[in-house]
Amino acid sequence: MFRSIEDVRERLAEQSYVSDNRLATVVFLATRLNKPILIEGPAGVGKTELAKSLAGATGRDLIRLQCYEGLDEAKALYEWEYSKQLLYTQVLREKIGQTLAPTEDLREAAEVLRGQEDIFFSENFLVERPILQAVHADERAVLLLDEIDRADEEFEAFLLEFLSDYQVSIPEIGTVKAKHPPVVILTSNRTRELSEALKRRCLHLQLDYPNGEVELQIVRMKAPDIGDELAGELVRTIQDLRTLDLRKAPSIGETLDWAQSLVVLNAPKLSKELIESTISVIAKYDRDAQKMLDHLGVNAKESRDLGQKEPTGERPEEAMYEMHRSVHKHAH
Amino acid sequence: MEAVVNDFVQVLRNHGLRVSPAESIDSLHALKHVGLGEREVVRDTLRATLVKNRDDAPTYDRLFDLYFDLRPSAEKPKARLKLPDHDHDHGAPPARLELGEEAGGEAPDSEDHSHEADDSTEMRKYFSEDRMRPSNDIHGEAERMRLSMFSQELILNRKPGALESALQRLTYHLKLRRSRNMFNPGGLVPEVGGEELPLDVSAVELEDLVGHLHDMEVDEALVAELEAQSENILRGLPELIKQMQERDKLLKKDARDDTELRRRSLRKMLHFSATEQRDMEAAVRRISRKIQGAKTRRLKEDRAGRISVPHTLRHNVRYEGVPFDPVLRKKREGKPRVALLCDVSLSTRNLARFWLHMVYQMQSLFSKVRTFVFVADVAEVTQLVEERSMNAAVDEIFSGRVIDADVNSDFGKAAEQFKNRYLPTINHRTTLVILGDGRNNGKNPNAAALEEIAQHARQTIWITPEARWGWRLGSCDMPLYEPICDRVEVVRTVEELAGVAEELVKSRV
Repeated sequence: MFRSIEDVRERLAEQSYVSDNRLATVVFLATRLNKPILIEGPAGVGKTELAKSLAGATGRDLIRLQCYEGLDEAKALYEWEYSKQLLYTQVLREKIGQTLAPTEDLREAAEVLRGQEDIFFSENFLVERPILQAVHADERAVLLLDEIDRADEEFEAFLLEFLSDYQVSIPEIGTVKAKHPPVVILTSNRTRELSEALKRRCLHLQLDYPNGEVELQIVRMKAPDIGDELAGELVRTIQDLRTLDLRKAPSIGETLDWAQSLVVLNAPKLSKELIESTISVIAKYDRDAQKMLDHLGVNAKESRDLGQKEPTGERPEEAMYEMHRSVHKHAH
Repeated sequence: MEAVVNDFVQVLRNHGLRVSPAESIDSLHALKHVGLGEREVVRDTLRATLVKNRDDAPTYDRLFDLYFDLRPSAEKPKARLKLPDHDHDHGAPPARLELGEEAGGEAPDSEDHSHEADDSTEMRKYFSEDRMRPSNDIHGEAERMRLSMFSQELILNRKPGALESALQRLTYHLKLRRSRNMFNPGGLVPEVGGEELPLDVSAVELEDLVGHLHDMEVDEALVAELEAQSENILRGLPELIKQMQERDKLLKKDARDDTELRRRSLRKMLHFSATEQRDMEAAVRRISRKIQGAKTRRLKEDRAGRISVPHTLRHNVRYEGVPFDPVLRKKREGKPRVALLCDVSLSTRNLARFWLHMVYQMQSLFSKVRTFVFVADVAEVTQLVEERSMNAAVDEIFSGRVIDADVNSDFGKAAEQFKNRYLPTINHRTTLVILGDGRNNGKNPNAAALEEIAQHARQTIWITPEARWGWRLGSCDMPLYEPICDRVEVVRTVEELAGVAEELVKSRV
C-alpha cells in the first residue's frame, strides 16, 4: 500500500492529516506486517481521523465499528437473518413438498432435507456486521474499531482471534479467513486498561497533543481562511493553556473550532474581549473557563453570569453537587 | 541483529518492562521492513512493537539512548547499514572490511545461526563499545559482558563465524534460563532458583564451546581465559542464588520479630517491582468481583440468563411467533462503587505508599471509585489520581499540597469532616474501604462518626497494617472501630492483600 515511510507521510498530508515520523512509521509497519494498530491518547488528538485519512489515502473503504458497553458478536460480526430464512421457507414450501414427495418414509425425508440444509445456513442469510464485512472485502479495507476501551472485556477476548489471524469462526459455516487482511485500527481513550493479550497483538501508538509547530500546520490546513498572525497567536495560546491543570484540556478539535469561530467573527487578532466571549468554544467546564481566563489575564470576575458557583466542597450541598458532577463525568 | 535485539529486550525486561517473546519476534520482522538506516526510525519501530504501556515509554527512551549509544567517531551508520527491504544479501558489507578482516568463511557448524551471526557481527560493530564497556548500570551482569568482550576479541583476531555462533548459543541458553524469571526482573526467584539454574546443561554447552574452540585452533591462552571466565559465571551462579535466598530469609525473619527492622524491610517491599504491581492488579481485580454494587432489581436483557417468555413472544412476532430469537434476561450486577479513605500520616507513611498504589490500581480498574486521603483533615484526591501517573500522584499527596501531611493523624477528626462534607457520596451501594492503622495519638476516637458513615455504606472494610496483637499497644483505637466495620483485615504485603481478596471471594460478605 505504501512504498516507504515518507510515502505514508505525504499521502496522509494529501488527506490534510499532519503526521509525525513516529505515526508514519507505525502506519507503514502495520501495512507491511499486517498487524493492527492500537492508538491510545486523550480525546481529540486525531485518533479516529487517522483511520479516515488512511482510508482516503489508500482509496479503500473505511468500515467503522463504534464500541460500546454490551457490544456483542451479533453487532460486531454477523447475525442470522431469521425473517429472510422464514420467508424463503414459506416461498419454497411447495418446492420442498415436491422434493420430499418421492420419499417413502420420514427417515428418508429427513435424509433428503439434510442434504439441502446448507441452503438455509449459507452466507445468503448472514447479515454482515463490520468485522465480517472487513473479512469479506475484495481489497484491503480499513477497519476502525473505535473506542475499544468502552466495550466489555469479553469482547476484547473475542477480538483476539480476528486480530491475530484475520479470521472469524461461524459455527454453522466454519472458519472464514480474510483474503485481503484489513488494516485494523483500534482506538482507546484509556478509560480502562486494555488486556495484555490485546496489546501484544497490536502495534502500539501513543498520540498526544501536538507541539506548536505541528498544530499550526494543522490549523493552517483545516482552517485555511485564518490569518497567519492570528493562527500563530491562537496556537500559542492553546499550547499555553494546555499546561494548566484543567479537567478537559483543549484538544485539536477545539483548537480548530476556535479557529473557525474566529474566522466567522472576522477577527484580525486575539483580543481580550474576544477571548472572553469565545472561551466557551475551548472550555467545556465552567471552572476550566475561569482558570483559563485568569491565566490569560482576562478579568472576567464581574461578568460571571453563567450561574454556577465555584464548588469549594465546604458545605454538604456542594459536596452533593461535586458528587453529582463526578457521577455525571463517569457516565461518559 | 537478532542477538542485539534479544539483548536489548533483556535489558528492557530487567527494567520491569513486560516484553513477550512474540513481541521481540515482531520487532525483528518490523526491523526488516524499515531497515536500520535511521536511528529514529529504529527507535519508533522498537517502541511500537515492544512498548505497550504509556508509563513505560520514558524508561524505554532512556534505555534506548543508553544502549544504542553510537560511537561518536567518524563512522556514519546511516549509509552503510541499510537493509533494502527483504533483501538479505549483504554481500561484503564495508562494516566488516573496516575491521581489516576476511569476512569469508561462514561458520562450519552453525546451519541455522549462520545468518543471524552474520548480522550480529555487523550490528555489533556499532554497539560494541557499549557492550564492551562494563555497563553494569544497565545490565548488572558483568560476567556476560566480559564474555562478549572476549568474543569480540576473538572475532577480531580469528574466524568470526563459528566462535560467534557458539558463544551466541551459550549466552542464548543462559538467557533462556534467565528468562524463565523474566517476570521477576533483577532477581533470581529464590523458591525455584536453586533448581532452575542447574549447572549441568550450561556445563554441557560450555564443553561444547570449548570443544569448538580447540577444533578451531584458536590461541590457547585465549581459550584458557575464556574457560576461566565462563567457569566464573557458572561458579558464581549458585553463589548468587544462595545469597539471594539468604537475604530473603533475613528479610522474612526480620519482618517477624523486630519492628524496627520490619519497617526497614517493609520499605524495601514497598519499592514496587513490576511483578508486584501486576500481582496487585490481579488481587484488586479479584477483590473487585466481591465488592459489587447491589444487584439491580429489574431484569435486563442479557446474553446469558433465563428465557423471558413474554419478551421472547413479543420479539418473535415478526417470525410468526416461532421463537427463533429467544430473549434472555438476568439481574445485572451494579458497578462496584467504592470509596477509599486512606491514611497518609507519618506513622503509616511507608505503608501509605503501598496503599496509594492499591488505590491507583483500583481507580484504574473501576470507574466509580472515589478516593480521599486524611491525616487530620480529609481531602478528595480522585481527580489527582486519575490525571497523574502513579508516582506523580503519590508525590503530590505527600508533598503536603493537598493536605498537611506532617501533623499527627487524627481519625476522629477526619471521620467528622468526612461525615460533614462527603456523606452524600456514600449510599447503600457504596463499599467504604478504610486504609489506616487506627492510631489517633490520644485524640478523640469519635467512633460515632464512623458508625454514622458505616450505616450509610453498604459495607465497611478496614484494612490495617498492624497485626491484632499490636492493637493493645499505644494509643490504637482499632478495638473501638472493629465492631463498626463489617470486616477488618490485616494487610502488609501484596501477597497478604491477595490472600484477603481470595478470602473475600470465598465467603459471601
